[in-house]
Amino acid sequence: MSTSISHGQKAKPRDQRAAALRLKNNRLGMSIFQISWIMVFFALIVVNWQLRFSYAQWPPLGVTPFEPLLPSLATLALLCSTIFVQRGLAAFRGAEVNVFALCWRLALALGIVFMALIAREFAAVSEAALATQYGVTMRLMTGFHIVHALAILGVMLAVYRRAVAGAYRGGEAAGWAVEGSAKLWHFVTVAWILFYVVLYWLR
Amino acid sequence: MATIAVPIGAQGNSQADEAVSRPALGEYLRWSVDHKIIGVQYGVSSFLFFLVGGAMAMGIRLELLTPALDLMASGSAYNSLFTMHGTVMIFLFIIPMWAAFGNFVVPLQLGAKDMAFPWLNAFAFWLIPPAAIIILMGYFVTPAEAGWTSYPPLSTLFSGDGQTLWALGAHLLGISSIMGSINFIVTILNMRPEGMTLWRMPLLCWAVLATSIIAVMATPFLAGALTLLLLDRVAGTTFFDAAGGGDVLLWQNIFWFYSHPAVYIMVLPGMGVLSEVLSIHSRKPVFGYRMVGLSSMGIAFVGFTVWAHHMFTSLQPELRIPFMITTMIIAVPTGIKMFSWLGTIWGGKIRFTSAMLFALGFLSMFVIGGITGVMLAALPFDIHVHDTYFVVSHFHFVLFGGSVFAIYAALYHWFPKVTGRMMNERLGRIHFVFTYFGFLFTFFPMHIVGMLGMPRRVAVYDPAFTQWNQLIGIAAFVLGFSTFIVVYNVIRSYFRGPIAGANPWRALTLEWATTSPPPVTNFIDDPIPYEDPYGYGTEAATAYLDAVDETFRNGRPASGSH
Repeated sequence: MSTSISHGQKAKPRDQRAAALRLKNNRLGMSIFQISWIMVFFALIVVNWQLRFSYAQWPPLGVTPFEPLLPSLATLALLCSTIFVQRGLAAFRGAEVNVFALCWRLALALGIVFMALIAREFAAVSEAALATQYGVTMRLMTGFHIVHALAILGVMLAVYRRAVAGAYRGGEAAGWAVEGSAKLWHFVTVAWILFYVVLYWLR
Repeated sequence: MATIAVPIGAQGNSQADEAVSRPALGEYLRWSVDHKIIGVQYGVSSFLFFLVGGAMAMGIRLELLTPALDLMASGSAYNSLFTMHGTVMIFLFIIPMWAAFGNFVVPLQLGAKDMAFPWLNAFAFWLIPPAAIIILMGYFVTPAEAGWTSYPPLSTLFSGDGQTLWALGAHLLGISSIMGSINFIVTILNMRPEGMTLWRMPLLCWAVLATSIIAVMATPFLAGALTLLLLDRVAGTTFFDAAGGGDVLLWQNIFWFYSHPAVYIMVLPGMGVLSEVLSIHSRKPVFGYRMVGLSSMGIAFVGFTVWAHHMFTSLQPELRIPFMITTMIIAVPTGIKMFSWLGTIWGGKIRFTSAMLFALGFLSMFVIGGITGVMLAALPFDIHVHDTYFVVSHFHFVLFGGSVFAIYAALYHWFPKVTGRMMNERLGRIHFVFTYFGFLFTFFPMHIVGMLGMPRRVAVYDPAFTQWNQLIGIAAFVLGFSTFIVVYNVIRSYFRGPIAGANPWRALTLEWATTSPPPVTNFIDDPIPYEDPYGYGTEAATAYLDAVDETFRNGRPASGSH
C-alpha cells in the first residue's frame, strides 16, 4: 500500500465519515435519552395515579378541581413554541438565518409565556388542595416539569445566540446543537402534554 | 467461503517479549476519556468497594456467631451495617463492576476506537466517587437503617440524616448508570465494524445491550422514587405517609419497578461473560447462539413485568397470581441460557483455567439461585419463607454465585488483555476452591435456617439456630479470606506475571486481535472481524488464529493473508 499520497487523499472522506458517525451517534443517543428520561415523568404519573386511591373521590372531598383554562392556554403556547422550534430548525438547515432567528425568538417568547402561566398555576394551588395529595402531586409534577423547561429554555437561548452569531455552520453535523436543543424542547412539550392530560382531564 | 481475514493492527506496535507498554499508573487517577482507562477506573474502584462491603459482611457474620448482641451496641447499629453492606455491594460494586468490563471489552469486541461518547463516559464514571463519599458519609452521621430497599416508613420516620445522604448518593449513581447505558447502546448499535451484523456480535455485547436497555428504561423510576423520598424527608411532603394521604406501597411499587429489572442489570452481563468464557475455554461454538442473544432480550423484557413478586405479602390479593405467573415465565429464557451453556461445553476440549472454573462455578450456583427463585415465585411457599434467611440465601446465590463468580471469571479471562500479563493460574485455582466452598457453606445452610423460620435482618435470634449460624460464620470467614488470594494474585501478576501476548486464549473475538494492552486507538487500522465470533474447531478458525499469532509475534501484519 503506497502510503503518503493515498493518505492525503483518504483524509477527507475519513473526516466526513467520522462527522457522519458523530451525528448518527448523537441522534440515536438523544432518542434513547428521551425514551429513558420520559420514564421519570411516567413514574410521577404513577405516583399521581396510585395516590388517587387513597381518597374516596378525586379531587378529594372539599377540594375544588383545578380550572383548566389557563393551563390549556399555556399548553397551546407550548405547542406553538415547539412548532416554531421545528420550523426554525428547518430554516437553519436551509441556511435561512433570518427565518430561523424569527422562529426561535417566537419560540423562546412562547416558552416563557408557558412557564409564566404554569408558575402562576403552581403558586395558586389552594390551601385546601395542598392539604391533600391532589394539590401536592400537582405541585410535584408541575414543579418537576418547570425545572426541565427552564433548564432547556436556557440551553435553547445559548444555542440561539451562538447560532445567529454564525457558529454551527457547515452541514448537519456542525448544526447538531440546534437540532439537539430543538429535540430537547420537543421532549419538554411531550412531557407536559402527558402531565396536562393527567392533571386536568383524568378525573 | 472462509477467507482468512487477519485484523491489521500491529504496524508500529511491535511488542518485545520482555516488556509490555502500559499506561502509567497516574493515568488511572486522572480524568481520561479513553474507554480502557475508564474501564480500569471502574474496575479498581468497584473492587475497593467490594472489599468495603465484604468487611461489613464479616462484621455481620461476627455479630451473628452468637444469638445475643455482642459486636453491635444495638439492633439499630446492626440495621445500619447491613443497610450499608447491601447498598455498597449493589450500587457501588456489582453495577459499576459490569460497567468496568463493558467499558473495556465492548468497544474492543466491536473493533471500535472508543465508545460513542467518550466524554460522557468519563463523566458517568466520575459521578461515582462523590456519590460513594456521600453514601458512606451517611454511615458516620446518623446512618440509614432501612436496608438497601429503603422501605418507608423505616426510611422516612425511623432513619437519620444518613438516609437523606443515601438517597442523594443513589440519585447520582442512577444518573451515572443511565449515561453509561445510553453510551453502550449507541456504541453497540452504531459502531460495529463492516461485516458484523447483530447476529454476528459477541454475546457479551448482546448482554450489555440488553442490560443497558433495562437500565435506561428502569433507572428513571428509581430517580422518581428517590425524589419523593427526599421530598418526604426534607420538604415535609407525605407521599409515603398514610396519615397525610400518602401510601407506603407507592414506594414499593416504584422502587421494585426499578429494582427487579436491576437484578438483571447485575446478572445479565455475567451471563454474557459466561457465553464467552465457556465457549473459548472449551473450544466449541456457543450452542444456540441466536437463542442466547434473544433470551437476554427476553429476560430484559419480561423483567419489567414481575416486580410485584417482591410485594406478595403486601399486594392486593387478586394481583398475586398474575405476578406469580410472569415470575415463573422469566425462568424460561434463563433456562434457555443454562441449557445452551451445557450444550456449549458438552464434548468440548475443556481447559480448566481459573476463568473456566469460575464460569462453571456460576453455572452450578446460579442454577440453585434460579431454582430457589422459582420456589419463591410460588405464592404459598413465598408467604411461608417471606422475610426469612431463605430469601437472603436466594439472592446471594444469584448475586454472589451468579454475578461475583462471573466477575471473577471475567477478571481471569480479560486480565491479560488489560494488563498484558497473565494471572497466576495456580493461585487462581486455589482462589476458586476457597471461594466455591466458602460460598457454598456460607449460603446453602441459609436455605435451611430460613425454612426453619429464622427471620432476616435481626441481630438477636433464637438460640436454636446458633450452630447453623456458627457454620455459616466460619464459612463466611473462609470466603472473606479467599478475596485476599485474588487481590494478591492481581497485584503480583500486574508486576511479575508472564507476558500474555495478543491472544493467550486463542479466541476469535476482536479484542484479542490487538496487542495486550491495546494501543490508545485500540487498533492501528480498522480490524476485520472473523465471520463467526465462536466458530471454534474449524480449519478456517485455526488458520485465522495462527495468523493472529503470527501477526503479533513479529510485530507486523502477516503478508498476503488479508
